[in-house]
Amino acid sequence: MSFLGQDEQIREFQSRFRYLYIVLGTALALLFARLWYLQVIRGDTLRRYSEENRIKRVKVKSPRGMIFDRNKKLIVDNRPAFDLELTPEELYSTKEWKKTVEHISRIIGVKQDGILNTLEAAKGQPRFLPIKIKQDLSDEEVAVIESHKLELPGANIMMDIKRTNLYRDLASHLMGYIGEVNAAELPKLNRGLSADGIPYKMGDVSGKSGLETRWESVLRGIDGEDYLEVDAFGHRRKATDSIAGGLQSKPSVPGKNLILTIDQDLQVAALEAMHKLFGDKKIGAVIAINPKTGEILASLSQPSFDPTEFSRGISPERWNELLNNDYHPLRDKTIQDHYSPGSTFKTITAIAALEEGVIDENFTVNCSGVLPFGNHPFHCWKKHGHGTMNVVQALTQSCDIFFYKVSQKLGIDNIAKYAMMLGLGRKTGINLAHEAAGLIPTEEWKRSRYGQEWSPGETLSCAIGQSYVLTTPLQLANAYAAIATGGTLWKPFLVKYIESPDGRILKEFQSEPLGKVAISQKTLDLVHKGLYQVVNDPRGTSYGAHIPGIDVAGKTGSTQVIGLSAAKLRSTKCENMPFNLRDNGLFAAFAPPDDPTIAVAVVTEHSCHGATMAAPVALTVIKAYLQKYMPDKYSDAAIKLARKEKSAARKTAPAAEVPPEETVGD
Amino acid sequence: MEQERLRQFDWTLILITLAIIAMGVLNLYSATFREAISSGGMTYYKSQMIWFGLGAVLAAIVLAFHYKLLSRYGYLIYFGNLLLLVLVLVAGKASLGGRRWIGFGGFRMQPSEFMKLAAVIAMAKYFENDRTTGGYRLRDIWLPATMILVPAALIMMQPDLGTAMILILTFASLMLFIRIDRKSLLILAATCVIAMPIAYKYGLKDYQRQRLVTFVNPMSDPKGSGYNSIQSMIAIGGGKFLGKGFKKGTQSQLNFLPEHHTDFVFAVFSEEHGFLGALVLLALFALLFLTGLNIAYVSHDKFGTLLALGILTIFFWHVVINIGMVCGILPIVGVPLPFMSYGGSSLITSLLGIAILTNISNKRFMF
Repeated sequence: MSFLGQDEQIREFQSRFRYLYIVLGTALALLFARLWYLQVIRGDTLRRYSEENRIKRVKVKSPRGMIFDRNKKLIVDNRPAFDLELTPEELYSTKEWKKTVEHISRIIGVKQDGILNTLEAAKGQPRFLPIKIKQDLSDEEVAVIESHKLELPGANIMMDIKRTNLYRDLASHLMGYIGEVNAAELPKLNRGLSADGIPYKMGDVSGKSGLETRWESVLRGIDGEDYLEVDAFGHRRKATDSIAGGLQSKPSVPGKNLILTIDQDLQVAALEAMHKLFGDKKIGAVIAINPKTGEILASLSQPSFDPTEFSRGISPERWNELLNNDYHPLRDKTIQDHYSPGSTFKTITAIAALEEGVIDENFTVNCSGVLPFGNHPFHCWKKHGHGTMNVVQALTQSCDIFFYKVSQKLGIDNIAKYAMMLGLGRKTGINLAHEAAGLIPTEEWKRSRYGQEWSPGETLSCAIGQSYVLTTPLQLANAYAAIATGGTLWKPFLVKYIESPDGRILKEFQSEPLGKVAISQKTLDLVHKGLYQVVNDPRGTSYGAHIPGIDVAGKTGSTQVIGLSAAKLRSTKCENMPFNLRDNGLFAAFAPPDDPTIAVAVVTEHSCHGATMAAPVALTVIKAYLQKYMPDKYSDAAIKLARKEKSAARKTAPAAEVPPEETVGD
Repeated sequence: MEQERLRQFDWTLILITLAIIAMGVLNLYSATFREAISSGGMTYYKSQMIWFGLGAVLAAIVLAFHYKLLSRYGYLIYFGNLLLLVLVLVAGKASLGGRRWIGFGGFRMQPSEFMKLAAVIAMAKYFENDRTTGGYRLRDIWLPATMILVPAALIMMQPDLGTAMILILTFASLMLFIRIDRKSLLILAATCVIAMPIAYKYGLKDYQRQRLVTFVNPMSDPKGSGYNSIQSMIAIGGGKFLGKGFKKGTQSQLNFLPEHHTDFVFAVFSEEHGFLGALVLLALFALLFLTGLNIAYVSHDKFGTLLALGILTIFFWHVVINIGMVCGILPIVGVPLPFMSYGGSSLITSLLGIAILTNISNKRFMF
């Protein structure tokens, strides 16, 4: 081995070492500078990023306010519901995962393809995230899944608190439903917030209809926020002490409760009464009001829907089914639909005539069954006429001819004056969406609406609540409430008070007057007498619906739904017409007649007769009300006792005056 | 005589190395104390300590002999290693998308790691007796170049781009140091410039190309191929000046940081110990390089000088590329950080490297 020349080479190498030091120094300086940049200059930002990585904000759901009836009976609640979730990570862990899907499909009754599609749609997201397969499992489904858990890897049952209407489809229109806030609603909702209001976010829920939307700001529960430490796979770790770091968790704020003026027992009574008459073909509205306050005691619209279904996400098929139903289950018929009031309007015509002095209690009309009027004779519903009628008898027996004659003396504008005084033809202002105004025609109205002069014949039709006259069931009930007391026309309202989640009363609502009823006591007495006899006089049109011991004053009505010629109308019995062409039945009433505390209006569509198909519903509601709130006078025992005393009295003194005559109808 | 030898024994490098290894094991403990190596059930840091023990024994053996033996058996070592690389491709164990290991009973060995040492030994031997002056021309270096390119190609086929690159970089660095003829250098440089796009298009696998794209713009795919780089920078930066504390690095503890026991250990360390900690570590590496360079400088033997420089070059590129990629100034290529990253073959190779350097240092007075 020769070392010759090696020393020189080594010396030459050594002379180049400075380059190595330069390279080394440069490289280390670069790394140093980079570390300085990342850890010192950008340290705060990157620290924040690392915090955002590990700290996940989670929603703490807060319950929405509950809705109670006037006696604190719970109507709308938040109840646990169970959903089935599948976690792909676990599901796919076995080779037989398709069998698992098949098994699940059998248990929950969802097609395998449907489940596979749901899984497919969630492909993009991490496999540890559970996928919702079915909502609202039945108790049996929950039990079966839980007991087969070991054979169903990946299947998991999750509990969620969901809006639940305890009475299902009873008063669904009133309560309304809720749903997730969508992008279109977001700006509108947030504009409507008070200055310190917490903005809505996508995924929050809000009321979509009925009281749920009208009282959104009260019912809304504001979700809180909590912070959890998560790892890169999204698995939650125990929150560590170091988590705080200036991040404040926000407590959730539960919604406030609504206590309604509604009495749920009356609702149930109304529905049962309708069901008794119509079975599943219930179409119509029932509304009950306290005439002394304007509190709505019952409000029912049929057919109906279950708001719970909506609040939990309704299927498009079910939605279409409801939307395309001929009898409009989604409409609140108590306020959104208006009807011809028919003979129930005669009460208003009578009041107008008496107050305007065109008639008095002695004024009579001889009803022969037909009134010649130009070349168009007007008929009474009673073919051969009522004979001689005064105003009380005309109301009792609902004589059309009497009111035709009276209306000729009155003119439409005088009728309209009193109708409007009683709140007809304009919105009551109830705090619900889409209230219809109804219509009370005047001569001026016809001119501006049609550019035509009022024709005298129209006055005749309007006097008996046909033609242009339209009222909502709510207006009708409210008008009768005003007639009942003769005092104040109240604005109907639904919420008695707002309560904090812990039960303190936060705000109580007072009655609001819409106007004074300027009707003389004499007129009231005459009208009340007529209405009392409608139910209680054997000649009264709804004597057949009369419940012994339950004192009611009311008025029947039945109205054509389409303009049929009078001849055809009389030649065909209502029951023999196609269902959709049959008359609507109406009944408006108040009770007890001497000191009214409830007024009711009932409309039953295509039921042909108000007397037999609407009055029983109203009377059932009134009975339920009187028995509940005035038991010492109207309980079954009290009624029995009173009748015994009465018959004992009758034995001693011969009572007579009532000649029996069968007249059922109007 | 024994005492004389002991006095001449250069402890400097060994002490520096032990300091880095201690930090490395602690860091591994912090990063992975919850996890067990899937197969054995043993934790990473314990396994690393066993590898260290084994490496220490091998290092001691290296220190017992004169490093000149390496010159004598240089080619034997080289070809033996080359054979192992072929064996890896034929009968290697696959893991993480590569075929890099061969098994020895319960152990696994990564011949590409040892190849780096074998290659510099062979190179040092090749140039030891060469007396070319005035710069090497292309025709002078085709043989050593082939000596490097063959194993580099084999390693590339595993595929292990990082190690292959280190091998080529080491060779290139040494050649530059030994001096290449100016004209040849220009031709080589031109060839590289032309070859680069071709290599990019045909030589790289899809995921490797993707890494380069995301290096240029990590945000082009923050959840995919850019994820590692971004999370690593967040980890390092999030450590700020003083760090989040031992076992408190959220990026690594909560698994946001990938490969936190191998390629990204530096990020774990920097997150937990901050700029200050990283500076200490970097300073230790700097000390190691300076000490090593001094050994190369004072060696009176061309083989020793070249071997020392070769070993240092390997260390240098490992450190620069690893920290560079973890910091986001170099693209992500799988290159471990010596003494810090988990991995038996890497640790043993590094320890052997230190042993050889120390050996060279110890023998400096013998000429």
